[in-house]
Amino acid sequence: MKRRDFIKKAGLATAATAGFPYILPSGLLSAQTTAPLTDHVVFVLFAGGVRQQEAVLKRYLADSQEEDVEGNIMYNLLTGAPPESKIAYGLDDAANNIVGGIPIDPVLQTPLDQLGTLFPEVRFSKGGAGHYNGLATGISGNYALAQGLRSRPASPTIFEYLRRHAGFDATDCWYVGAGIGMSRPLLNYSNDPEYGRRYGANFLAPQTTFGTPGMNHFMDFKNYHPETEWSMIQEMRHFLNSNYVEEGLEIPHLYNRPDEQDSIKEFVRATFEKVEQGQVALPPVNDNGDLKTLGFTLEVLSWFKPKITVVDLTNIDVCHGSYTNYLKNLHRADHGVGFLWREIQRIPGMANNTTMIVMPEHGRDQDPNPIQDINDWYAYDHSTGNENTRRIFTLMVGPGAEAGLTVGDQDNPVGDATDVVPTIAELFGIKQIVESQGRLDGNARSMFDRM
Amino acid sequence: MNMLTFYKRVGLFLMLILFMGWGCKEESYVYEVNDVDISPINSTKNKPKTEAQYISVLYTNLFQEAIGPNRMLEALAAIQSIGDKRVAYDILVSKYMADGQVVLPSEEDMRADPEAFVRDTYRRFLIRQPTEAELQWMLNYIESRPNLTPELVYFSFATSNEHFHY
Repeated sequence: MKRRDFIKKAGLATAATAGFPYILPSGLLSAQTTAPLTDHVVFVLFAGGVRQQEAVLKRYLADSQEEDVEGNIMYNLLTGAPPESKIAYGLDDAANNIVGGIPIDPVLQTPLDQLGTLFPEVRFSKGGAGHYNGLATGISGNYALAQGLRSRPASPTIFEYLRRHAGFDATDCWYVGAGIGMSRPLLNYSNDPEYGRRYGANFLAPQTTFGTPGMNHFMDFKNYHPETEWSMIQEMRHFLNSNYVEEGLEIPHLYNRPDEQDSIKEFVRATFEKVEQGQVALPPVNDNGDLKTLGFTLEVLSWFKPKITVVDLTNIDVCHGSYTNYLKNLHRADHGVGFLWREIQRIPGMANNTTMIVMPEHGRDQDPNPIQDINDWYAYDHSTGNENTRRIFTLMVGPGAEAGLTVGDQDNPVGDATDVVPTIAELFGIKQIVESQGRLDGNARSMFDRM
Repeated sequence: MNMLTFYKRVGLFLMLILFMGWGCKEESYVYEVNDVDISPINSTKNKPKTEAQYISVLYTNLFQEAIGPNRMLEALAAIQSIGDKRVAYDILVSKYMADGQVVLPSEEDMRADPEAFVRDTYRRFLIRQPTEAELQWMLNYIESRPNLTPELVYFSFATSNEHFHY
């Protein structure tokens, strides 16, 4: 389908649905709701700070190390031939003693930009290029311009919008974090007094939960019999809590229903068993933390089949000190996301009705810092005020996204880092409600409105 | 009755009224005690413990010894890795209960002197005595549940909202 045809049909569809309020699966009826375009959304914050030059521009070493070698090292996401020389982004070639000398085989037969819509030149238009700022912006649709690291987002997250306005359950919404650092555990709900914890998402940092801390403090936790033991605990706790009824003075829970709480506990128990047995659904290559995070994300998807899942990656950020390792982790992030997409199509209930969005939280500097790595290549930071840090891309694939469409280019930037929230809201039929709350950044627009 | 007698009686009546009026003058007493609102016994506990404080107190209450710094950091990381803290603490306490090192009264002791057990449990976890109503409820509960163990009671107190506040 050509772009013009797509826009025409999308416009007709929009016009057709605009006048007819849609009853969401939750039973909510509003004149501002429209028919959902998808059943599930997975939003990958392709995070750690990615330079456009090595990502969508496929310049490999050409725009960074004064080496005349171009090529695409993200061939699961993007179309393009890989570099032909100076290969340093793959698996280590021990036989020939070449670090990163063996590229990882593609996971997908067709790159995702051919299956979906690519916005190759998007802007992180405000604020500094900090990881927390970037992550908070991606999930709230608003720039965290005056926000400290150790505080929750000031604006509602997409989880809160969906739980409040689309009636999603707590276990419909997950934030899977690359870790517990950089205030990630605060990203599952905002400080907004009209939203907040009541509408928060479940959070999981699987490498901590199922790593050493969790193994020592969670693994093999006692399984109380639901009828003869757990019911008594519940009764006594209810009595104790009913004698302590001050408003808001409770252990900060996320309003998971009792059956949802039980399901989370059973998920933790079952996943520990998988860890012990080496059965976690990890990507074929899983030699860094991001790839393990993506494997655990698949476990979350398989167990809960959430409607909205956000997962963030971080290993690309080694670029502060090693360009070679940056290339390796960028290549691995592509490998992991390709694997995630492939495996989603094998999950009953999520196959063919899941939309995935991929976006870096911010870019990296135009010019290097003085640190050189084993290949004598220079490293790159992400500094406040550097315009190159504002350059990112967004890729959307699955229901709602037109295949093979590219919107904008290097000379014609289209899109903003805040667009993902209204886009997800539109995918779930509540865009107008979200926009009418007045909490989004002024630049934020649904990607569908930018096509 | 002649007129003179009538006037005498009326005069006496008026004097009596006047006298009673003086005698019934309301006295105002000031005891210099302010009015006090009666609040629940636990109402002063309105500050949430930090995760570190809660884990530290929880560990001490269950194991009757202080948690070591490395163990503390690990437990804190584990708790932070799960968003719903009620679920996270349930799992943590379940794990500790499976440890075998938790210091628990025996079931025989609980059944032999349930009032002492209830009072000790309130003191250990909630740093207060139970109200009479709380005491009676707990005593009835223990008596009516032959399968109830001290472990289940401790679990309930350890994960109660009041235990999370100070």
